[in-house]
Amino acid sequence: MNRIDPDFKEKLKPFGIGNWNECYHCGNCTATCPHTEEGFLFPRKGIRSIQLGLADSIHNNVDPWLCYYCGDCSETCPRNANPGELMMTLRRYLTTVYDWTGLARILYTSFPALIIAFVLVALSIIGVGFLKNFDRIAIMEFGHKFEFFAILSVAVIILLPNILRMLWFTLVKEKVKAPFFFYITGFVDLIVHMFTQKKTLKCEENKLQWFEHFILVLGYLLLLFTTVFLNWFGTENLYIVTTGYSVGAITFVITFLFIIRRIRKKSELSKFSHPSDWLFIIWLFLMGLTAFLVRVFIDLNIIGNHLWLYLVHLIILAQWAVLIVPFGKWTHFLYRSFAIYIAKIKKENLIKHIDKELVTVTT
Amino acid sequence: MRKTLATGVCFSHSDSNHSHSFDYQELYDSVEIVPEVTKIWNFSENPVPNLEFFIEEIKKFNIDRIIIAGFRPGYFKPFFAKALQKAGKAPENILLMNIFHGIPEGVPYNKWVKAKLLCTLYEVPFEASLLGEPNPVNPETLIIGGGIAGIQASLEIANSHNKVYLVEKTGTIGGHMAMFDKTFPTLDCAACILTPKMVEVNQHPFIELITYSEIRSVSGVAGNYTVEILKKARRVNVKTCIGCGTCAEKCPSSVKSEFDQGTSLRKAIYMPFPQAVPNKYLIDADSCRYVKDGKCGTCVKFCPVENCINLDEKDEVVEVTVGNIIVATGFKPFDAGRMEQYGYGKYPNVVTSLELERLVNASGPTGGNVVLRTQDKKGNWIFDAGSPEPKSIALIHCVGSRDENYNKYCSRVCCMYSLKLAHLIGEKLPEAEVFEYYIDMRAYGKGYEEFYKRIEEEGVHIIRGKTAKIEEKNNHLLLRTEDIEHGRLLEQSVDMVVLAAGLEPGNDTKKIASMLGISCSDDGWFQESDAVCNTNMTLTGGVLLAGTCQGPKDIPDSVVQGSAAASSVIQSIHRKTVPQSLKSIPPEDIKRRAVILSPLNGD
Repeated sequence: MNRIDPDFKEKLKPFGIGNWNECYHCGNCTATCPHTEEGFLFPRKGIRSIQLGLADSIHNNVDPWLCYYCGDCSETCPRNANPGELMMTLRRYLTTVYDWTGLARILYTSFPALIIAFVLVALSIIGVGFLKNFDRIAIMEFGHKFEFFAILSVAVIILLPNILRMLWFTLVKEKVKAPFFFYITGFVDLIVHMFTQKKTLKCEENKLQWFEHFILVLGYLLLLFTTVFLNWFGTENLYIVTTGYSVGAITFVITFLFIIRRIRKKSELSKFSHPSDWLFIIWLFLMGLTAFLVRVFIDLNIIGNHLWLYLVHLIILAQWAVLIVPFGKWTHFLYRSFAIYIAKIKKENLIKHIDKELVTVTT
Repeated sequence: MRKTLATGVCFSHSDSNHSHSFDYQELYDSVEIVPEVTKIWNFSENPVPNLEFFIEEIKKFNIDRIIIAGFRPGYFKPFFAKALQKAGKAPENILLMNIFHGIPEGVPYNKWVKAKLLCTLYEVPFEASLLGEPNPVNPETLIIGGGIAGIQASLEIANSHNKVYLVEKTGTIGGHMAMFDKTFPTLDCAACILTPKMVEVNQHPFIELITYSEIRSVSGVAGNYTVEILKKARRVNVKTCIGCGTCAEKCPSSVKSEFDQGTSLRKAIYMPFPQAVPNKYLIDADSCRYVKDGKCGTCVKFCPVENCINLDEKDEVVEVTVGNIIVATGFKPFDAGRMEQYGYGKYPNVVTSLELERLVNASGPTGGNVVLRTQDKKGNWIFDAGSPEPKSIALIHCVGSRDENYNKYCSRVCCMYSLKLAHLIGEKLPEAEVFEYYIDMRAYGKGYEEFYKRIEEEGVHIIRGKTAKIEEKNNHLLLRTEDIEHGRLLEQSVDMVVLAAGLEPGNDTKKIASMLGISCSDDGWFQESDAVCNTNMTLTGGVLLAGTCQGPKDIPDSVVQGSAAASSVIQSIHRKTVPQSLKSIPPEDIKRRAVILSPLNGD
């Protein structure tokens, strides 16, 4: 049974524009969306749940993750309710629902807390530098180890339990059951989507946007791989060095384009920016840029005199790895992919139910 | 004399960007000098005012009466009544004052608001203090627009034996109603109601009908206006034309018929429709070959009456002096092509409601057969009586209405006329499936809800949900809609789609408003003096409104408003005076009168 939470709308306010009452339920958004299908009707149904204060039905739903924000619904909405951004708001909110630590909620809703967290991380890195007497080799060694450690611990301690929580909310609590076979084949869709985001292509206006995003994801993952596993900053291998340079450049050039777009606010997608959107895009840009410059300084052999650059890079990397990745917008990489997996299982469950209903009707 | 009460004045700041801007500070100063005003507050709609705060304030300043001044003061009345009650005061002592309504365009706004506020303080109705010296009136009346509202008003005034000039832009009176087949909810034949009235107008000794003409300028004061009327060259003598139609038969130039909404062709010399009043031909200068190139004159050659057609006739300006003017200029349908997702203009069988109205009409292009639009031999898309009939038709409500991207308001008539059209389709094509997609069903009038139920019982599929897009697939139109009541997604394939286009102010609305010195409301319709209890008067003396030019309304309401405007005119003729234009009253006079009339001012 669902409980009504009359203050639910208020709770959602810090996550976005919050004009939930604008909607008069004409269903234009649901019908215009290329991703909606039987059993996955959004955005209107979600907006209804929020108007009624049905928090549980929002928590148990993956619909917001199936929206790729082409903006068609917002453009044609007769109430200017901006359903596309409302879905984005729900994605931000759900990120904090899945997070077991509760830190995501604090960082999303409190700007001072966000600043304090970022400053604390920066100070710890400077502290480490101080402890190592600002010795270049020691600090770079620490940085390299830190990357390994951060990835591993964030994945095991934060992300994995969060994914399990997402599955708990959307499948177990909803009592969704499908043949075992689909739990396995669903993973194929998950992996394919995770690395191609090909569902975005269903949105008519998103072709170029998909390509940019695809290249960015590829660039980012390769940057991670070259720096962490191939030791880009330490190697002399020409292939690795050039790969690192190119993926670093891809990362900061594309994110720069995204930043410009968010400033110009021309497309529906870039009209409204939450602090978390800015943080994500700017930090990714800074990470690509500083990594690129660090390697340039290494190649020019001046990194010894300009250790500050590496420290700046390390600070940005640390903030990214311990704040944005586990508690910020980065998680959409995982949740969107798992939503595809969950949707597939839910669809099977739905078909089974419909079949059962038909059987009872005919008999 | 009543006891004076300690008063608090609340100014509510509106969030909406109203065209008027004024200095709130000056307003506060002007009420502060009134001795019984003990406290002034400011608040806005957003965030919601704090009840506890106001209860404390009322107790602290011992306030017995509250004036709420703002954009929509009534909205806050329950709030302050509660505050007064909780503070142990009488909750009924609340006065409302709308600082935006009832103030004419082009006056020093702040002074007027101050005057109005003083009236409220002294408990004098603003209207009572406005009565300046009335002007003497010329008993003749001008009516602009020959639709059903204009016709009704003309007949009412003319029947009281007063002269009326009825000016109509097109070649015939009748307006949009003449295009309709049936009227809702009684399914009476529209022409059977309208044409006798049209003929009566034409034959009435007190009505001078001036068709194919436009108002060029208005001058003078209330009660005595001089109006210049541009009579466009008709090029056919109305007095001698016998309406035989030989000229049109021979005319080589054809264009789309305005009356049939482009569903049929007419000649350059034409009669708008067979029952047109006056029942005479006219020449459309834009499509006439003689007017364009100086070569043709076929109609003159074949006309059986001598000197009836004069192709060189020039436009002419006539001048009339009148006392009252009734504006009944009507509406224009929303241009459905603006909503690209519906593909009007792209897909031949997406039609507007007015086009379907002509199709179901026995005097329409297909003789009353509902058929699909097909290509003729030349490749033109036309409605031919022999074309295949649609097997399924969908009607989409709220096209261009209740939509922030186009018009925010509800056009009031679309739900009902769509139901009516659904019924008429069912009459013509009993086998066809009819679907209606609506957002909210607004069947608000007498007999309307019953009509809605009747149509539902007739087997029309009435589905709640706004269609989002229309695509053409295999010669069918595919509609995508969310069926809200059943929580499912509908992909419906139909042969024909009818878009229930809303009502919009006519193209000349702004021009006419500036000529007459009246204003338009934010949504573009003419501004009435009071939206609730005086919808047919304006703030300009002797200028009245009737029909849809004041706001969307159906035929019964337009007729009523036509009669109401006529009654105001007859009243003024009978009294031999007309109220002054509000603009010409100095605000100082209003304040003086407010003090004199005040029930609080017994001394």
